Amino acid sequence: MIDFELSGEQKMVRETVGAFARDQVRPAARSADESGAIPPELVKLAWELGLARGPIPETLGGFGDRRSVLTGTLVAEELAWGDLAIALHVTAPALFAFPLLEMGTEEQRRRFLPLVATERFAAVTAAAMEPRYDFDLSALATVASPNHSGFTLRGDKCCVPLGEQAQAFLVYARGEDKSGGARAGDLQGTQVFIVARDTPGLTVVEREKNMGLKALATYELKLDGVRLAPDARLGGEQPADAARLVAQSRVALAAMAVGVSRGAFEYARDYAKERRAFGAPIATKQAIAFMLAEMAIEIDAARLLAWEAATMLDKGLNALKESSRAKHYAAGVALKTTDNALQILGGHGYIREHPVEMWLRNARGFSAFEGLAIV
Amino acid sequence: MKILVPTKRVPDPATNIQVLPDGLGIATENVKWVINPFDEIAIEEALRIKERLGTGEVVLAAVGQKSWQEQLRTGLAMGADRAILVLNEKALDSIAVASLLAKIVADEKPELIIMGKQAIDDDSNQIGQMLAEMLGWPQATFASKVEIKERRCTVVREVDGGLETLAFALPAVITTDLRLNEPRYASLPGIMKARKKELKEVPAESLGVELTPRLKVRALRPPSKRQAGRKVSSVAELVNLLHSEAKLI
Repeated sequence: MIDFELSGEQKMVRETVGAFARDQVRPAARSADESGAIPPELVKLAWELGLARGPIPETLGGFGDRRSVLTGTLVAEELAWGDLAIALHVTAPALFAFPLLEMGTEEQRRRFLPLVATERFAAVTAAAMEPRYDFDLSALATVASPNHSGFTLRGDKCCVPLGEQAQAFLVYARGEDKSGGARAGDLQGTQVFIVARDTPGLTVVEREKNMGLKALATYELKLDGVRLAPDARLGGEQPADAARLVAQSRVALAAMAVGVSRGAFEYARDYAKERRAFGAPIATKQAIAFMLAEMAIEIDAARLLAWEAATMLDKGLNALKESSRAKHYAAGVALKTTDNALQILGGHGYIREHPVEMWLRNARGFSAFEGLAIV
Repeated sequence: MKILVPTKRVPDPATNIQVLPDGLGIATENVKWVINPFDEIAIEEALRIKERLGTGEVVLAAVGQKSWQEQLRTGLAMGADRAILVLNEKALDSIAVASLLAKIVADEKPELIIMGKQAIDDDSNQIGQMLAEMLGWPQATFASKVEIKERRCTVVREVDGGLETLAFALPAVITTDLRLNEPRYASLPGIMKARKKELKEVPAESLGVELTPRLKVRALRPPSKRQAGRKVSSVAELVNLLHSEAKLI
């Protein structure tokens, strides 16, 4: 009934993306954090892995791969192990592609998926979060009012990756019409709209200054009476299942939190085996060994929660609860693990020569992130 | 052009190798297996030649256990078209592997064979040379640059103190050096496609080759542990020790 053995294909995906993260992403992370920019050659190489383009049908320029949320969590964990900011940047086009792929109407898929089925990195993304203390995906302040010619969008968005370079956005908003919305109880009313960059009323405000993820360019978006045609709503007459999208995003974020945690754990473990104090490696001291053991246990537990939710999503089940638990738990583990890693490195943890302080800054975001990744 | 790429499965270079208590082999539990890195370079070069010519077929080959499928699939995910696994459970020496590969060549009739210059496990550096001799084909080992025009091939080799350029007609055997290229990552769509590509298994016994090893491994042992360094109190003492103990000066 329960099988934790990955398929041969999944193992190969994990190994390949893991090697990419080790050889390409990790070495680029620190300078990307310092300079606030990700090298275009790295983005190009990551794009060639075919993460977002793979599942798009061949008739629309993709490779027609069967998409699996579970396989996606493996990719997310490995990339985030390399670097979270780079992982979020290179997977951002999936925020646009995967919901369209799964829930777009035939016409929407035909019109917009070719934007992602390209040889070069496709700058398309999603805007879900809002700069409000009471931000809630089930009660968004961005409103889509229906009118005789379609919809009008009003509201502010934040943490939009690729904002400045994006050609198109999926904007999450509260639908004011009565046609229902998501099928799960608490996300009814949350709808998703396809908005091209040049639509009047849409402004990309300046780049945000964040505590972590300094290499990831995120932007605020202003939607000031953005008029959309009736077919701009994802799913058309049958609005997209926002609960399922939110669940997929939470699984992705949980998997990335596992990746960040694993990276920090491994770094601290190896350091503790090398670093000597009072004549012995500090890993032999129980104060350190217990900490490391607990970190390892919690990382495994977080991964299992993410895999459980991913497996349910792959079966077409509602996994809003499971994915929320996975994300909540993994966010806590990421913060605790990176903090403990910093503690194990002692003074070395606090200086920028080691990556641990960067991982702690990045991990702090997980409890706030929503809709920033999808697999 | 049909290109054959013989490959070998080896322990990941990052793996910590443990010698078995009997001193005749290594512990294989917990070893991560990968394609020999030089063979990976060979696969990449074969794919590039195919892409440049716009036509052709890249066929992988390996002689080993059934589990070697995994590494062949990785090569298929990089873009090779199909693979042949000559099934054999026991240890073989280089001449047996080369003989088995020669049989595969007779059957497949490739125009070019590209392979790693050596496998990083036993560093024998023999099979490419043996295979070329058995086939009576030209060989260019340690290639750092390969150019193919019509049926002529030019290979630049890294030799002591410089570069040597060889020109010869195909068919031929080329073995790859480290700086020939940077192998690509398999793409996710490539991995998905690899599952559907042909992977043929051929029992080694069916090829009529003498498999009994002529070489015997007598003993394996890990490199001796490096001695800890020593601090000296003066330059004079250092010079003295270099002379009297290390006998370097």
